[in-house]
Amino acid sequence: MEKLIGSGTKAFSSENGATGMIRFLDSPDEVLEFIDGPDVQSTIVISRGGTTTFMSPALMSGVAGLITLQGAPESHLGILSREFGIPCVMSTSFTEGISTPRGETIPADGTTVRLDIAGDQGQVFLVEQG
Amino acid sequence: MSAVTETVDIQKYLQAFLGEVPQGAEGDRQMRQRVAVPFMDTTDADVRRDRLEPAEINSWLDYAAWNLWDFILGRASEGESGLIPRQEYETVSFTQQWNNYPRFIRMLTAELGVDGLLELAKTSSLEVGTKINVTRNWAASVCPILGRGIGIELGQDTPDSRREDLETLIQFGRRLQHGTWGGGCGLVSGRGSTVPVLHPDVLSQLTAQLQPLDDPARMAAFRQFNARTELFGFMLHYDCRAGMADTGPYPLPDGRFAIVRDHFLNETAYPWSGIAEGLPYAVTQVMVFPADRVQVTVNDIQTTFSQPTNYLDYLEAGVVFARDTMDTPMGELRVLGAEEMAQISQRCQKGVLEMYRMLARKSRDEKIRDGVMVYTREFLLSHATRAGIWDKFVSEGFDIMQPNAEAAWPVLTSERAAEILTPVLLFGKGFPHVGAAS
Repeated sequence: MEKLIGSGTKAFSSENGATGMIRFLDSPDEVLEFIDGPDVQSTIVISRGGTTTFMSPALMSGVAGLITLQGAPESHLGILSREFGIPCVMSTSFTEGISTPRGETIPADGTTVRLDIAGDQGQVFLVEQG
Repeated sequence: MSAVTETVDIQKYLQAFLGEVPQGAEGDRQMRQRVAVPFMDTTDADVRRDRLEPAEINSWLDYAAWNLWDFILGRASEGESGLIPRQEYETVSFTQQWNNYPRFIRMLTAELGVDGLLELAKTSSLEVGTKINVTRNWAASVCPILGRGIGIELGQDTPDSRREDLETLIQFGRRLQHGTWGGGCGLVSGRGSTVPVLHPDVLSQLTAQLQPLDDPARMAAFRQFNARTELFGFMLHYDCRAGMADTGPYPLPDGRFAIVRDHFLNETAYPWSGIAEGLPYAVTQVMVFPADRVQVTVNDIQTTFSQPTNYLDYLEAGVVFARDTMDTPMGELRVLGAEEMAQISQRCQKGVLEMYRMLARKSRDEKIRDGVMVYTREFLLSHATRAGIWDKFVSEGFDIMQPNAEAAWPVLTSERAAEILTPVLLFGKGFPHVGAAS
């Protein structure tokens, strides 16, 4: 069962979306710790900005998908996600979730979501287990 | 002014330049109607002059302001960086360039002469894996002149101060553009947003090596190589597009088209260049797509956008060349085999992580200073090197921060930057007119 919880601008179109568990990465140290972990390729990471370099280890390590809270498809991260073929939804607004220290609403770490980048918009669906 | 009114106004400026002129080909057409003189176009005669008429300068400034707005629009909301403060170093770099480029451009022009500059700019038609390219044709003039606009906003200059420097920068860019294109609009926005710059003989030598990518494993390896080398190029060049450049689309005899893509992997000019040790200076990919299924544009900073957006899903054939050093002759380009592509791909993956760890340890100010070095060197380094005077540039202070750039730094790297940059980048205030008197 799925529920639409977020929408934004997709970096590129594809029938192939992504499903994975959310991980919000807020600092370079968190990014480095994350890519050394076991679940990289089954994770959809959230970053705040749309620049490439912050998320570069995650791109290189083949995360399942990317969500940004800022940025646009013409930004460097949008371009690179296209080159890597990693589904990416940018400037995403969520209707539910937890609050970051800056007051942004995002799904909690460990939540399973599906990214849909086939339509006009990028959409994030909550995948409810069971 | 109410918050609601401000929001509406910003939307107006996001939708059209000055709230009036759209993006793309229609925007180019309208700008041509608005300017007094089509000085974005170049001719054999007008690129030779050092002095310009006010109407020529102001027409060029107006077109450049629209051109910048046209392609920066999608990036204006890129958002904050968690690793490299790129907007901060770019804007400090603009002021640095405005304050140091004119002197060094005159040095380069004195060394080569105008004819020599025109000849130098033909390099982009005759070589691949070169930074003497269309991106630099644009950046070497538009970026420092944007620095002029920032300087005026900051009260460091007036629209009429340093007229000679402004003329030097405009003409340097126009000379490079004329050398590349031979006439017509110097900017890609006035050329249908395509960059088919390679000479047909050069292109045919490249396309002669194309191989079909119908084997899924071969396709996957090619796409992985493309993605990893591109990301490494971004990292090595501090998250800016100096590390990549596309040309094309080139229509092919069989009805398909090619994009030719350079990724610069081993720029030796920077203190962290050791990370790239062992990699070729550049790799060049030729990629073939079906023209009836994909349409592409390439902008002034040589980045491809496509419809549909997942253009790589339509890739049909490709080949990769290596240029081992900056001055390897074109006759010595090497076609990369699968094994070496895999090695380079893996080396780039490792290099990204090394670079990331290095960046994570640096302070924000260190990264801004590094970024200024990259952004200021990148647009003239290859030209001066080819002319044999790069060492002279350095010994005469090319890298020394100019007092106005140092003075602008605290503002441009603080939360107050938006007050300065929003009007400059979004509201068309970055290119103020000069007065009637010369």
